[in-house]
Amino acid sequence: MRVWRILLFVAAAAFAVLPAAAETPDAALAKLVADARAEAAVPGACTAANVDRLVRAFCENRLRPGIREYYPLFGTREGDVRSGYDIDVARAVAKRLGVEPVFTRVNAASRIPLLADDRIDVIVATMGHNTQRDGQVRFIRPHYYQSETTVVGPRALSVKDWPDIAGRTVCVTIGNGSNAQIVSHNARLMLFDEAGVLPGQLKDETCTLAAQDDSFFDFYFIEPDFAARFEKKFGFAQVPWGMAVARTASSERLARALDLMSQIFLRDGVFLEIARANRVGTSFLERQQVVWKRPECNTDTGSGNPACVLPALNADLEPTPFVARVVAFEKWVKAETGIDLSLPMLKTMPAWMLFKDGIVNSLILVVGALAATLLFALVLGAAQSSRSILLRWPARAITITLQSSPVVLTLVIAAAVAHALFPYSSAVAIGAAIVALGLMNGSNAGQAIAEAMHTLRTERGSARGREGIPTRELFSRAVNRSATQIVSFLINAAKGTPIASFIGAPELLSALTDITSFASGRATTYSLLLVFYVVVVVVVVWLCGKFQSWLEHRQAVA
Amino acid sequence: MMSKHFSADFFPDLLAGMVVNFEIAAIALVLGLALGGLLALARLGGGVLGAVATSLIGLMRAAPTFVVMFFLLNIIPRDATLFGIGVAPSGIMTVALSLVPYSASYVADNGAEALKQLRAGSPLGALQFLPNVTRAFFVLVMSSSAGAAIGVTEGIAVILREAVLLPSLGDKLVLFAVGILFFGVTLQAGFALMRFLQRHLGRLATRDTAAP
Repeated sequence: MRVWRILLFVAAAAFAVLPAAAETPDAALAKLVADARAEAAVPGACTAANVDRLVRAFCENRLRPGIREYYPLFGTREGDVRSGYDIDVARAVAKRLGVEPVFTRVNAASRIPLLADDRIDVIVATMGHNTQRDGQVRFIRPHYYQSETTVVGPRALSVKDWPDIAGRTVCVTIGNGSNAQIVSHNARLMLFDEAGVLPGQLKDETCTLAAQDDSFFDFYFIEPDFAARFEKKFGFAQVPWGMAVARTASSERLARALDLMSQIFLRDGVFLEIARANRVGTSFLERQQVVWKRPECNTDTGSGNPACVLPALNADLEPTPFVARVVAFEKWVKAETGIDLSLPMLKTMPAWMLFKDGIVNSLILVVGALAATLLFALVLGAAQSSRSILLRWPARAITITLQSSPVVLTLVIAAAVAHALFPYSSAVAIGAAIVALGLMNGSNAGQAIAEAMHTLRTERGSARGREGIPTRELFSRAVNRSATQIVSFLINAAKGTPIASFIGAPELLSALTDITSFASGRATTYSLLLVFYVVVVVVVVWLCGKFQSWLEHRQAVA
Repeated sequence: MMSKHFSADFFPDLLAGMVVNFEIAAIALVLGLALGGLLALARLGGGVLGAVATSLIGLMRAAPTFVVMFFLLNIIPRDATLFGIGVAPSGIMTVALSLVPYSASYVADNGAEALKQLRAGSPLGALQFLPNVTRAFFVLVMSSSAGAAIGVTEGIAVILREAVLLPSLGDKLVLFAVGILFFGVTLQAGFALMRFLQRHLGRLATRDTAAP
């Protein structure tokens, strides 16, 4: 009887233990992998349409991670040798699955499209997990790293927080999730495809400030020269990094396998060892190891437990009320013409607001530049026509100076003076640009008026002898006579307005650069921009033609 | 005084940057001469081809350089290849290409006029094309400063990166004045060369007319 009791107890204990063993991530992963391997071994399974991605990995005996090649400490390549934290994580994942890793180079802009095109199986490429990307790819949880965006600049430069950023140019990489936040603080962006170029741009002073993940800059701050010249100004937007697979049903088992593997690697310190070997920061991974050793997290459902996994960074942008129609239109264009049209400026409220304001500001700039050109042409023309050297010579000096200054430099000078007088704002930048464009083109047109005045005086002098100060009538005729030159510089002023973006005027070029820094569709966006400005200039040419006809008619009547 | 304000390598860097401005202008002008020459011939030929050339010249005249530069920068993939050869333009080439619509339309306008003069039996009238091209070249040198916006280290970019490190507006204005002086001297020298060319051609014309 006693023996039976003991046997009963052992059997009960065995049943109690078995489910517990099945609930560990290790057991769940082992079962998932075994099932997929078995499926891959079934004849015809590998050639079936839309084969499961995990099964396909076993069929082809390979996993295709998308990795970076120009991101020091995380993904670099010298010849055929790849190294970095991400590379080693991808290798560890492939090894655990028992397949070969076949790497494909990606960057911030190409990684998601390459996954969507099924040219890679998994992204392991410094990708921050935010809610915006959640709809595009299936993130692997728990996360395998965490970073924040840090602003780096010369030590001599006094930048401490967001207010010091307004009006400055910050170099960033396209597709970086934190770009929208930088734009919202009135900074201008200079966009680059690869983060790897940013330190070089800082060193050769092409960029004064650069914003990128702190993980990226860690490598450069190891260099004594770099650390002596530059410092981290401030950080923002902490974001966990996730591996990611395609958001399709056929990728779900691969995603599940990677979820479980990530859990195990965090718990067992595999990621931690890889981080140490690659000299990247380990504090996040140390904290995560503690989390994933906790009994409630160390289960096969741990990756779905909100108490264990980190939330994605909330980067969702409010959609426009007409986003559905925009998407439908894009699909219609694709279906009818094959053209991959993308209209990011119409899909989210921040982009739509930037776009609308950009158009309005561009039109204000064009009208303002035309008015300022005409005004300065008349004022400087009159001054240069004056018989008083106190008026004539300063006006000539201004004209020669403005003619000798490249357009960008004139704009920068106008902006520097404006910002010394007024606090930075978009209106001040637009005003400074209008004054600069007006002065540049108005001085040339004014010179043409003065030359016309000179010829008129010569003609009148020979007819009626020398007269005193120029009369209003004579000046009016000089304006009529120089109509072609005036119109030419008015058109030039309109054509020059996009360059106002250089000093932070939020016109359409500036707005679209901001939009493309956090959204896709660069080709469509910049094509639209070119069409917009060509149309604006054509309209200005047409209006100027009318204006010139009116002046010539006046001259004929006179 | 200046060395107290400016970094030691500012002036060498500025001169090196200005060489880049000239390099960009030269590339833009050579490409503009090739394209503008073809367009001028097509326009003078008349017919459908002439109408297409006229429309194209009008569009190129209306295209703002700065927008064209950003268009090229964003439309051509960094890893673009043609027959296996990388064709993505460098920063300098992007700026030069963005100036081609201006230079080509300018060359087409002035080239067509020069060809008309040549056909009308006035080779010296046609030679006015040379000073006009010289004028365009110096306009291109000044316009190439737009490259500063996309990270090309030309003259203005050198001045602007120096300006960032200067604390007061007064110091910055001194720096900008130096920039204007350097570019101004170059520009005025160019215009002096152009005037010399014009006078020389004028003298040739007068001598031709005066000859029996």
